Amino acid sequence: MVNTNTLSIRYLKTIGIVNNGFNGRGFANPYDVAFGPDGEIFVLNRCDPARRSAIRVGVCNLDEEYLYEFGYGFGDGDGQMTLPVAMAFDAEGRLLITDEHTSRVNIYSNKGDVVSKWGVKGDSEGEFNGPAGIAVDSAGLVYVCDQRNHRIQKYTSEGKFLSQWGVRGSEPGEFNLPWGIGVDISDNVYVADWRNDRVQKFDSSGQYLETIGGSGEGSLNRPSGVSVDRNGNIYVTDWGNERLQVFDSNGKAISSMRGEATLSDWAKDFFESNQDEMETREISNLNPDIPDHLNTPYHISSQTESYFWGPVSVRIDSNNRLYVVESNRHRIQIYEIE
Amino acid sequence: MNKDVSLMAHLMRRAGFGATRNELEGYLEDGYEATVDNLLDPGESGHMPDDIIRRYHVDQSELRQLDGAGAYWLYRMLTTSNPLEEKLALFWHGLFATGYAKLNQARALLNQIEMFRHYGFGSFRDLLVELSRDPAMILWLDNNENHKEAINENYGRELLELFSMGIGNYSEDDIKECAKAFTGWTLGNAEYMSVRASKDSIWPYGRIAWHYEYRADDHDGGEKKFLGKVGNFNGEDIVDIIVTQEATARFLSTRLFQYFASDEVDSDGELVISGMMEAYFQSGYKVSAVLRSLFNSDYFKSDKCMYSRVKGPVESVVGTVRLAGTYQEPTLDVHSLWAQTMFMGQGLLAPPTVEGWHEGVEWIDSGSLVERINFAAKELSDPTKDGVKDIIRRVTSNQKDLSDPEKLVDSCLDYMGPIQVQPDTREGLIEFAESQGAVQIQNGQPDENASIQVARLIGMIASTREYQLA
Repeated sequence: MVNTNTLSIRYLKTIGIVNNGFNGRGFANPYDVAFGPDGEIFVLNRCDPARRSAIRVGVCNLDEEYLYEFGYGFGDGDGQMTLPVAMAFDAEGRLLITDEHTSRVNIYSNKGDVVSKWGVKGDSEGEFNGPAGIAVDSAGLVYVCDQRNHRIQKYTSEGKFLSQWGVRGSEPGEFNLPWGIGVDISDNVYVADWRNDRVQKFDSSGQYLETIGGSGEGSLNRPSGVSVDRNGNIYVTDWGNERLQVFDSNGKAISSMRGEATLSDWAKDFFESNQDEMETREISNLNPDIPDHLNTPYHISSQTESYFWGPVSVRIDSNNRLYVVESNRHRIQIYEIE
Repeated sequence: MNKDVSLMAHLMRRAGFGATRNELEGYLEDGYEATVDNLLDPGESGHMPDDIIRRYHVDQSELRQLDGAGAYWLYRMLTTSNPLEEKLALFWHGLFATGYAKLNQARALLNQIEMFRHYGFGSFRDLLVELSRDPAMILWLDNNENHKEAINENYGRELLELFSMGIGNYSEDDIKECAKAFTGWTLGNAEYMSVRASKDSIWPYGRIAWHYEYRADDHDGGEKKFLGKVGNFNGEDIVDIIVTQEATARFLSTRLFQYFASDEVDSDGELVISGMMEAYFQSGYKVSAVLRSLFNSDYFKSDKCMYSRVKGPVESVVGTVRLAGTYQEPTLDVHSLWAQTMFMGQGLLAPPTVEGWHEGVEWIDSGSLVERINFAAKELSDPTKDGVKDIIRRVTSNQKDLSDPEKLVDSCLDYMGPIQVQPDTREGLIEFAESQGAVQIQNGQPDENASIQVARLIGMIASTREYQLA
């Protein structure tokens, strides 16, 4: 729980359990979430190589009901995905999913029907080299982090190229393998400039405005995702530090969170039928001290189940709830913002 | 064939995974002994950065499963600037063989490998203490079941027999006393972790990595008699006694000799091993000193030592891929490389037993040989691969005419290693080169067809018996 004069972030619950199979309840290396019109939570499962034939989107709700799922297999055919990274609903309610391997954006209906796709590999206008984060502004325009071209591209929702900005570099307005992207209520654009260890803020035309988390308190280490609440507070999944870093609307660091996951309903169901694991778990210390040679955020998170581990995306729903997606723990930690 | 180049190539086949001609030229500028020193004390190694790997490969970030963990280690071997660090870690992995099958915990194995990198060149004493604290080893040899009131001898026995002294140098009583000294050396949350490992449970949120824990209340603090010494020994005290033994010096030196110099130890080899043992004691049990003694010995540099070892499968895969110049960036199918090591009989992180792999000629049977040849020939006969392109460029540059098949074969053998082959192998390669027709060079450049011809010859050289020797 975080409390400042202007902001309260309260842990609500955890949804998820590792899915070791090819379908059904649970997640397989989730990479992003998006929110449907009727309370649906869409979860993008990137999947490990052993399960890649079942690459898919799973749909559940806040009550942890697993509603349905869709996927068309691993590959570059219609509707198929290879290395999906991020997703967002466009203004027409269609789901856009980036794929950094096929260098395209796949478009689905919110029931999972294949609608269309756009993008090919390249470095010209309208082409991608490893598209990653995706966001849609209030006018329905689409922003994509074109990772290995180190730029942002702006499109209509039909995939018509509008503009681009950025080149490889570390100066303001330049990028190094950007990952996540978010927009605020004024349509300013925030980019998780991954290998420059910062978030950059731009106006909707790509004009550079400021750098967030580049140094000092709250300095970031390989940020993966960024979202902004209605009051302008900025939430960053600080992937390299395995934490959620929060900044106010002036870019001042106001909070840092390591995660506080609890058992999801699906996890509780598992322990109901595996009492031997529950009994030994109850006598365990799940917040251990770590040996010096493994004393890094990554290794600490690998041993501390409640902490964020592999936080790859942060998104905010229409009810001001914050979702942190953890690829390595196959779950989503949910917080309420007040 | 230039002797300096040939000797440096030999060193790098043994202390690394082979070297490209570009790499060899760099090492030759430093000279042999300075290269040995750099290999033994390289500072921070360069390799493909972890963040780049983890962003691309979710499985290598989570490291829940064996293939992803194996692929992660292969990336380190394929891209490291200090190949001896990885080669030595691979040696320790074979000697202190700990396998996935019982643990169901890939990350704990990789953490053990990281420990080998950290301690592998230093004091053998420190290495054995860390090994005794290693969570994967503790579960692998049941030291979590070694209690004050009921000892489990498994770790104590293997520490003496397989890890330090060798059979015949201690008694059954020594084993019991050793086991008592290691009571209380366990892993955190041992009960929960044991249940999860035994059921291969990944629920609810993936695996939880393991850590060492010392339970003083489960340690036998009583008097023990071990190898003639008496005291209230704890585990460190036992290791302190072990490392002073001549049998330990001989065991370690012999195993290092067999891995880095020659599968067979003859009378000349015995002399080298004596020198290595001396270095062991003089340096305060430093592994780097033992290896320096070996690499700088006349025996190691002799013709007798060259090509006297069969490459292990991992050496073979890594050496071939490094020569081909592939997998230098995250690559979708990298886990299939790990599968190759399995098909060839050396599944990385999955040794068959605590005794590790049977090495030398036992690496080769008809099935694994076919896998080796197919893999190497496929990797190296592709003229679009950067490393192959470089060999083709060197073979063809400044050449007006490559129509002489003998000259072409000798040039390819030179730039692929140099690789020394038997006369009948060379004859066979010349016949193959002839059968392809003359390689045409125009304006000092090979045309597309010429590149394909040279690449096929390179692939054919990778199929020879000699290519499988280090």
